[in-house]
Amino acid sequence: MAQKISVYQVAYKNLLRKRTRSSLTVLGIGLSAWVLVSLLGFNRGYEAALNKDIDNMGFQVLLTAKGCPYEAATLMLKGGTGLRYMKETVIEDILRHPEVEDVTPMLMAAIFDPNKGESGGISAYLGVDPATYPAMKSFLKFKQGGWFTAPEGREAVLGYEVAELEQREVGDQMLIPEKNIELSVVGVLARSGTQDDGTIFLPFRTVQKLFEKEGLVTAVGIKVDKNANIEELENRLYDLPDVQVVSMAQVKQTIMSLVSTAKIMVFSIALIAILIAMLGVANTILMSVFERFQEIGIIKSVGALPGDIFRMIWTETMILCLLGGTVGIAFSLALSRVTDVLIRRLLPYTPTGSLIHINPQLALLTLAVVVGIGLASGVYPAWLASRVRPLEAIRSEGE
Amino acid sequence: MAEPKIALRAENLTKTYRRGRELILALDDISLDVRKGEFISFIGPSGSGKTTLLSVLGCLDNATSGRLAVGGKTVFSEQRRLSERELTKIRRQTFGYIFQSFYLLPTLSVYENVVLPFAFFRKPGAASKPMEILRLLGLDRRLNHRPAELSGGEMQRVAIARAVINDPEILLADEPTGNLDTKRSEEIGEILKILNAQRGVTVLLVTHNPALAKIAQRTVVLRDGKIVS
Repeated sequence: MAQKISVYQVAYKNLLRKRTRSSLTVLGIGLSAWVLVSLLGFNRGYEAALNKDIDNMGFQVLLTAKGCPYEAATLMLKGGTGLRYMKETVIEDILRHPEVEDVTPMLMAAIFDPNKGESGGISAYLGVDPATYPAMKSFLKFKQGGWFTAPEGREAVLGYEVAELEQREVGDQMLIPEKNIELSVVGVLARSGTQDDGTIFLPFRTVQKLFEKEGLVTAVGIKVDKNANIEELENRLYDLPDVQVVSMAQVKQTIMSLVSTAKIMVFSIALIAILIAMLGVANTILMSVFERFQEIGIIKSVGALPGDIFRMIWTETMILCLLGGTVGIAFSLALSRVTDVLIRRLLPYTPTGSLIHINPQLALLTLAVVVGIGLASGVYPAWLASRVRPLEAIRSEGE
Repeated sequence: MAEPKIALRAENLTKTYRRGRELILALDDISLDVRKGEFISFIGPSGSGKTTLLSVLGCLDNATSGRLAVGGKTVFSEQRRLSERELTKIRRQTFGYIFQSFYLLPTLSVYENVVLPFAFFRKPGAASKPMEILRLLGLDRRLNHRPAELSGGEMQRVAIARAVINDPEILLADEPTGNLDTKRSEEIGEILKILNAQRGVTVLLVTHNPALAKIAQRTVVLRDGKIVS
C-alpha cells in the first residue's frame, strides 16, 4: 500500500464528493471550449477553404462585363459568371499583355426547365473552350469518359452532383428544354468538392450557337504569370471598355469582409460562453470551499501551510478545467460536421470543403486558454481557503 | 533524580475577544506547566475556557497577553506574536489534534485519511510504518473502508491515528468522546492512555465526562477562565 497520498489525489477525490455538480461544471467548461476550439478552427478553415476554392478556379483574374463586383464575385464562386456579355474580341486585347499566360472564354446560358423540381427551375449551362479550359482545370478528374470530342459538338460533360441528380451516365442523352436539342453525355466528373460538381459543361461554340450569342462571352478567365504584378495588370485591364476586373485576391477580401460581421458575432458568443463557464467554475469551487470550511481548518491543523491549501484548491480548479477542455475538444472533433452545418446557415457565403480545421496545436492552445482562464477564476476561492484558520473549525463546535 | 522536562509552560496567559460590543475575558491569568509525557485532563462547566485554553496552548490561536513556551522555546509573549504561517510550522512539528467531530474526508479511505498529513508534511523520523499505528488502534482490517462505512468509535480512532501519524510530542484532545456512547468513550480513553504510556505522548484532554477525566494523571478544573484547582 502506498505510504503517502499526494495533494493532487486529495484534490481529485474532493471533486468526487459532489459528482453531479462537478460533472455539470465540467460540461459547462466543455461547451465553452467546444465553441472556442470550433471558432479558432473556423478561422483557419474558412480561409483555407476559400483559398482552395479560388485555387481551383485555375485562373487568378476574371474579366466580366461591367456590373456589381459583389455579384460578380459571388456568382463566380457559385459557378456562374454573371449574365452580362462582352464582345469576344476582348480576348485579343487581353492577350496583348505580356503577363498573361493564357485565357479561357466562358459563356453562361440559362433556360427555364418546366420539369425541374416541383414547379420548374432554371437550368444553367456553362460553355467552356475545350482547347484551354481543361488545361487550366487540370485537377479535374473524370469518373467516366472525358472532355468534348469536337469544339462545336452537341456534347455535355456533367459535374458529379448533376449526374447523380439527373441520373445520367456517359452515352446517355440530355434534352435542353425549350430548344428541344439533345446532347450526348461524353463525360462525368469525379467529385471535386467545388462548384464544378453542380455544373453542366458544354463546348463554348455550341453554347454560342444554340443560345444565339455568337461573338459574345460572359467571362474570361485569365491565367497570369506567377511572378507578375497582378494589381498592375488589373489597372491596365480596366482600360478596356465596359469590363469588370475581379482578381481572386479581391474576391477573397470581399468575402472575408462579408463574413467578418458574422465572425464578430460568433466571437462574442464564445466570449460570453467562456465567461459564464468560468463563473460556474468560480461558483463551484467557492461553494466547495464554504462547505468544507471546517475540514480545511482540520487539514491545516494536521500540517498544511496556507500555500498547500491554495495549491489543493487550485488543483481542483485545474482538474475541472483540464477535464472540461478535453471534453470540449472531443466534442469539437466529434461534432465538427454539425458545427460546419450550423456555421453554413449563419454566413452569407461559405466556400466548399471543410470549414473547420482543428489540429493538435489548436487543441493545445484551446486547452491552455481554458485552463489559464479557469485558474484565474480559481484564485479567489483558493486564496479564501488558504486564509481559513484551524481555530475556526474548533470554535464552530462551541465550548 | 532529574526534573522532568517541561513540554509547555504558560505564564499569566489571558485571552479576550469581542462579542458585539462586549469584551469577553475567556482566559484570566492562567499559569501552567505541562511536563513531557504527562496526561492532563481539563474539566469545567461550559464557557469556562477549556477549549480556548487548549487552542492557545496548542498554538491554534495567540493569547492576548502573557507568555507561552513550547519545549523551552517562547512562541508567544508581549514582544513576540507569531504569524499564522509560523504557528503552522510549530503546530506540525509538535502537536496532534483530536476534536469532537472527526472531520474525516469522506472520499478518502481509512488509510488515506490516516496518511493525509504526509501530503503536506512528514516529520523526519515520523511514523515510518503507518500500519503499526493502524494496528495499535485496531483499524488494520478497515483500511479500504470509507468513513461512511465506519461506526462513530472507529471514525474517532481514525482521527486519532491521523493526529499521531507524524509522531507529535503533544496530543490535544477536545471533547473526543462528545459524540460517542459510554462503551466507545471508554475505548477512546484506553487508546489515549496507551498512546501516553507506550509512545510517551503528552496528552491534554478537554472533557465534560468525569469518568474519562479520571484516566489522566492530573486534572485541571477551570471556571470563568481561571484555573480553580
